[in-house]
Amino acid sequence: MTNDDITIEDREIQALLKDYPMPQAPAGFYDQALARATHEGSRRQRNRWLATGFGGAIAAGLAIWMFGAMLLTNPDVPTVNAEIPGITMALEAPRTVNFMFSSAEALDSAMLTVSLPAGLELQGFPGETEVTWETSLDKGKNYLPLTLVAVTPAHGELLARLEHDDRNRTFRLRVDTP
Amino acid sequence: MSSAANNQTFERLVRPHFDRLFRLAWRLTGSKAEAEDLFQELLIKAFGKLDDLVHIEEPGSWLCRVMYNLFIDEQRRFKRRRMLTVEEGQLGGDGLAGLPGPGDPHYDNRRIEKLERLDSALAQLSDEHRVVVLLHDTEGYKITEIQELTGIAIGTIKSRLHRARVRLREILTADGTLS
Repeated sequence: MTNDDITIEDREIQALLKDYPMPQAPAGFYDQALARATHEGSRRQRNRWLATGFGGAIAAGLAIWMFGAMLLTNPDVPTVNAEIPGITMALEAPRTVNFMFSSAEALDSAMLTVSLPAGLELQGFPGETEVTWETSLDKGKNYLPLTLVAVTPAHGELLARLEHDDRNRTFRLRVDTP
Repeated sequence: MSSAANNQTFERLVRPHFDRLFRLAWRLTGSKAEAEDLFQELLIKAFGKLDDLVHIEEPGSWLCRVMYNLFIDEQRRFKRRRMLTVEEGQLGGDGLAGLPGPGDPHYDNRRIEKLERLDSALAQLSDEHRVVVLLHDTEGYKITEIQELTGIAIGTIKSRLHRARVRLREILTADGTLS
C-alpha cells in the first residue's frame, strides 16, 4: 500500500477499502479459460443466428462468455430510465430492436427466452407473452433483430434471457407505448 | 513450433499472472460475470499475439495493459447502450460472497454490514473513480503504476482518487457507516 496523497480524512475510507474482499476466480475457471483461448484458433465458426432467425446447432458446447449490449434502430431515442435502455412505441406500428450479444467463443445450443410485458408482442408470435428458442452464437458479435408490435398500451420491461450450460444473462429493455 | 508447444509456451507465460489479472478484471468491470468475460477475451487476444508475447520482458504488466485497453474499447463502443444484466447477483461468487456467513466462527456481522455498505457505495461511483480508488486503496497499486496501466496523467489520477474518496465518505457518512 502506498501513502500517495493520503490525508487524515482519507484514512478511515482507506482502511475500509483495504478490507474490501479480494475477488477469487471460480474453481476450474483458469483452466477452462486457457483451454478456450488455445483452441479458439482452430474452432470452426458457424452462423445460424440470423440465417433463419431462430434455431440451429453448432459444434461442441463451451461455457458461455458474453457481453450484452443493445443497439437501437434509432440511437437517439431517449431512455425512459437513466439506467435501463428504453424505447417508446406507437400502437400497431412494428419496430425492430437489435440485440447484440458478443461471445468470446462459438457456442451451440444456447437458449434464448424473450418475455414481453402486457400489450407487447413479437411479430409473428401473436398472443405469446414468452417465446423461447434454441440458437447458436458465433465468436464475436451476434445481432438479433426482434420486431416488436404494441397491440395495446404497454408499459413495462422486455426481458431477453440467454442461457448456456449453467450460465445465463438477462437483458432488460424498457418499453412504453403512450 | 507445434500446436502443443505453442499451448505450453502460452500457459507458461500467462498462468503466473492469472490471479493478478482476474482481480484487475473484476476491479475494472465491477462484476464477476463481466470479469470472466474480460479475462477470457484477454487470453484469446494474447494467444493470438504469442509471437510477440515470448519476447516481452514483463508479460504480467503487458497483459494488464492489454486488458485495460480491451476494457476501455468495450466501454467506448457500448457504454451508452449496454443493457443491464439483472441476475448477476445470483450468479454466485460476486463481491462479498466469499466472506464468512452466519454460523461461521469468523462471522463478524458488523464488518459484513460495513462491507456491504461499501460495496453499495462503490457501485454509485463512476467507473473512472471506482477503478482508480479500488486499484490504489484496495489493490495497492502506486499512482505511477496506475499511470503506466491506464496512460492517464498522474494529476488526473490523483484528482479522481481524491474525488472518489470524498464521494465515498459522503455516502458512507450519510448512511451511518462512518462517523
